[in-house]
Amino acid sequence: MVNILEVRDLRARITGGREVLKGIDLTVAPGEVHAIMGPNGAGKSTLSSVLAGKPGYEVTAGSVLYKGVDLLSMPPDERAREGVFLAFQYPVEIPGVNNMYFLRAALNAGRRQRGQPELDAQQFLKAVKEKLKLLDIGDDLLRRAVNVGFSGGEKKRNEIFQMAMLEPNLALLDETDSGLDIDALRTVSDGVNRLRDPGRAIVLVTHYQRLLDYVVPDHVHVLADGRIVASGDKHFAAELERTGYAHLCDAA
Amino acid sequence: MLITDDSAPFQEAYRHLLAGTDQPDWLRSQRQAGMERFTDLGFPTRRQEAWRFTDLEQLTAQPRLPSLDGAPPLPADLLEPWRLAGKTHRLVLVNGRFEPALSTIGTLPDGVWLAPLAETVLRRPDVAAMAFGADGNAFAFLNAALFTDGAVLVLAPGTVLEMPVEIIHYSTGDTQVSAHPRLRVMLGDGARATLVETAAGDGNGWTNAVIDVTLGADAELTHVHVQGEGADAAHTSLLTAELGSRARYRTFALITGASLSRRDMQVTLSGPGAVFTLHGAYLLDGGQEATLAVRADHKVPDCRTEEVVKGVLQGAAHGVFLGTVAVRPGADGTDARQLNRNLLLSPSTRVDTKPELEIFADDVKCSHGATVGSLDEAALFYLQARGIDPVTARSMLVAAFAAEVIDAAGLEGEVEALLRRHLARWLGGEGGLG
Repeated sequence: MVNILEVRDLRARITGGREVLKGIDLTVAPGEVHAIMGPNGAGKSTLSSVLAGKPGYEVTAGSVLYKGVDLLSMPPDERAREGVFLAFQYPVEIPGVNNMYFLRAALNAGRRQRGQPELDAQQFLKAVKEKLKLLDIGDDLLRRAVNVGFSGGEKKRNEIFQMAMLEPNLALLDETDSGLDIDALRTVSDGVNRLRDPGRAIVLVTHYQRLLDYVVPDHVHVLADGRIVASGDKHFAAELERTGYAHLCDAA
Repeated sequence: MLITDDSAPFQEAYRHLLAGTDQPDWLRSQRQAGMERFTDLGFPTRRQEAWRFTDLEQLTAQPRLPSLDGAPPLPADLLEPWRLAGKTHRLVLVNGRFEPALSTIGTLPDGVWLAPLAETVLRRPDVAAMAFGADGNAFAFLNAALFTDGAVLVLAPGTVLEMPVEIIHYSTGDTQVSAHPRLRVMLGDGARATLVETAAGDGNGWTNAVIDVTLGADAELTHVHVQGEGADAAHTSLLTAELGSRARYRTFALITGASLSRRDMQVTLSGPGAVFTLHGAYLLDGGQEATLAVRADHKVPDCRTEEVVKGVLQGAAHGVFLGTVAVRPGADGTDARQLNRNLLLSPSTRVDTKPELEIFADDVKCSHGATVGSLDEAALFYLQARGIDPVTARSMLVAAFAAEVIDAAGLEGEVEALLRRHLARWLGGEGGLG
């Protein structure tokens, strides 16, 4: 079976600035959950940004295959339609754009790309209700403008809801646990767990180990100074919690 | 230095226009006074502060004189996009002349007068005389001299007009002519009406309109102005409004047309507790230039002004917002807010925005603000990261920016639907986003 993600010697810098990723290698198979941990400034968010195609970064070397296809040559909207989903660390507020309208446009853009018929308003509403039920979250966010006036927890919940609706093959969760209290963390983690699927790969980027108490990864990697300096199984996260990153960073 | 006289061709046109017509004396002297005032003033120049940002070259380089002939018959479907859905009292003028075939004034309740100005001059000279004030600017004086027709709407005290009144001025033909429609709206104490005043067209003429509004105590007027003139047309209009005690004047201005346009609004709050709200948007493209110049004059205590005007500009468009709130001595308790926000979609666009306060009272609450920015890159990426292509993403953000001001206006029914339709058409049409 073809890997969802194969990153080889990926090097990238902030456009016109310093190099942040200094040769990343990462292979993610379908059904796997990977956690990428590391200290602030290690390049964790840059990695998810580069994979999602966020402007402002420049890939200087290396390659990324997504389901066997060159990911880096696709514009960001095409990556999304092909099934790459980035849950933002800071979801953007978009005044005047209704959440439901936005999500239906996004969903139908993906369906068009895959040659599936678009969902009409009624079919879409049905799908929304199913996912809300699956994630056990209320529908209070749907009538509002995208992320406008949402609390930190509501924003993250909305990201997970979008992920559930768009059913990506590769979900990149960028610091999804940051700024959440323990209840919100549990809601969001439950959502992620329910979206684990044999056909889907999930990459969790996080600074803290606590998310991994709820979403147990198959593989844990430590990113330091732009490189993956250590990898292990799910127990590795707990070990890191004890030992910290410092000794690994020095090694890098 | 050679001093050219801008007014000479208009004086000539004025003489032609009146030759052999049977004008009542009072009207003849009003026209005469208008012509004299215009001759004195001439076209405004950029040396005048209020006209500093407006380029009138297009109007002055080649005079667009009023046409002596009627317009050719206009196919009704040309008006279709500009009409309100549902039942209305509709009065249509084409190139300054009333078009009975396109109008459906319909049955009017007791206490309502709605008729073309020329007809009002004949049948109710006492009412028609009220369509001529002593005040105005050079353009309004020229209008008084050269108008051929217009409309008069009068509501007796306590009258409520349920159906909206639609006054459409349509300018057509590939001729460098001008039309000078003149509108007069008077609502007696406690009267209520909704007016949609549209200036549209496909020609390259010049529409120079005057709209005078008077609201009695507790009267309420909702007034939507849509300016969708042809791409090579010019539009100038002066709106004056005088608000009595607790009168509510709620306006919306949507400006999308003409290569050169300027709307002056002079609103006088002369009865305590009067409320003036303006929501508006100018959506401009190519080489269009549009000015919205609003003066709210608070003469008495406890009045309120709220203005929210948004601009969306692309191509090499130029938008100008001039907003003045004047608070006269003794007008304590004034509450005035002005906000002008602009979205620039290309680097060649330009915005001049100048919200101002002239405050001569102590106990007032006044604020003003202006912003000029481009599309939010973070929002654009967020939409794309969900699979929405860049063109659609841009269009969604622009639509949201502009639609906000329609939401904020709190209009209802077909009137709100009309504004949303115009916005959608601009976004999908020559606005170039589609």
